[in-house]
Amino acid sequence: MGRKKGLAGIPVCSCCNEPAVVYQRNSRRSLCGTHFTSDVEGRVFLAMEKNQMIRAGDRIAVALSGGKDSTALLLLLSRHLPKWEDVSLVAITVDEGIRGYRDETIRAAERVAAHAGVEHSIISFRDLFSDNLDTLLEGREEQACTVCGILRNKALTQGAKNSGSTKIATGHNLDDEAQSVLMNVLRGDLPRLVRNSALETSGCFLPRIKPLAEISEKEVASYLFVNGMFLDLPECPYTRYALRADVRSMLSGLEHRNPGTMLRLVESKKKIEKYLGGAPVSAPLRRCRQCDDPCSGNLCQVCMLRQSLGR
Amino acid sequence: MRVIDQGPASVETILSSLGINPLEVIVVRNGTLIPESTVVFADDEVRVIRISHGG
Repeated sequence: MGRKKGLAGIPVCSCCNEPAVVYQRNSRRSLCGTHFTSDVEGRVFLAMEKNQMIRAGDRIAVALSGGKDSTALLLLLSRHLPKWEDVSLVAITVDEGIRGYRDETIRAAERVAAHAGVEHSIISFRDLFSDNLDTLLEGREEQACTVCGILRNKALTQGAKNSGSTKIATGHNLDDEAQSVLMNVLRGDLPRLVRNSALETSGCFLPRIKPLAEISEKEVASYLFVNGMFLDLPECPYTRYALRADVRSMLSGLEHRNPGTMLRLVESKKKIEKYLGGAPVSAPLRRCRQCDDPCSGNLCQVCMLRQSLGR
Repeated sequence: MRVIDQGPASVETILSSLGINPLEVIVVRNGTLIPESTVVFADDEVRVIRISHGG
């Protein structure tokens, strides 16, 4: 399809004839910075309303790593906070202790929270688990994402509880969500595939919301760039050990050649959830023998991990 | 920095010739974000920024 070109070979916005900054393949529109920002924010808030993510009286703990997704999330939520009655935000940063990576992103997180005027607290692995991630992983680097995921989840929950939050908001984007669906299929992990942490009703966990789940990773980066908040930050050094890195690259290639692939994957998860109709696919909740946290076996994942790490 | 000796061409064509998936980068010319269908010229300086994962 031909697109109108303006000066200097740049396509013009489909809404106002200003120079475009992005082309959206799904809507086949070129958009300028103003209309693109408005489009992204509109889609996020539509998804939030549709899924009733925020209610009056909520205190939302925004998981703020300082990377692009959580930065965009905090920026967007803080800009539109007055839309919700009696809702407050707090940013929680988890310092895993990753040399050459986390210090820079923590400084970025501090700047973003200050810019957004949002209360910010940092919780570290060293405080919670007596050691940083680098030390915990010595000789087992290939397990980095599993170990970090379990401990970070615990740290984030603890930080959110300490701040009196009612929900946790994470910056997962469409690419992340599609990757998770495919990874759970590849692992044959049905319980995780159909888990919906937003529909937490047991009262044992803080519900999690993902306002950016319908926005692609490229759109998140473009949104930040257009709004003067894009930082070219380092990537976690442990990423190369993760299955997600392979899945990410494969899915990105598929999405490029077959637009809509990621959205269809995420929709397929929702269909599976619907067909299951709430039928239980995992063991009922119990309490960890060591720490009393909710879990599905005798020990929670954190206590099992600490045992295996000899801590 | 890499110099490519190429006449007017779309960003998409250039990314493709470099084996770069456009979904994994954003492209900037003179500090301004540009869509992949933008035509760039021989004397343009174009920055291709890889989107880092995470965060």
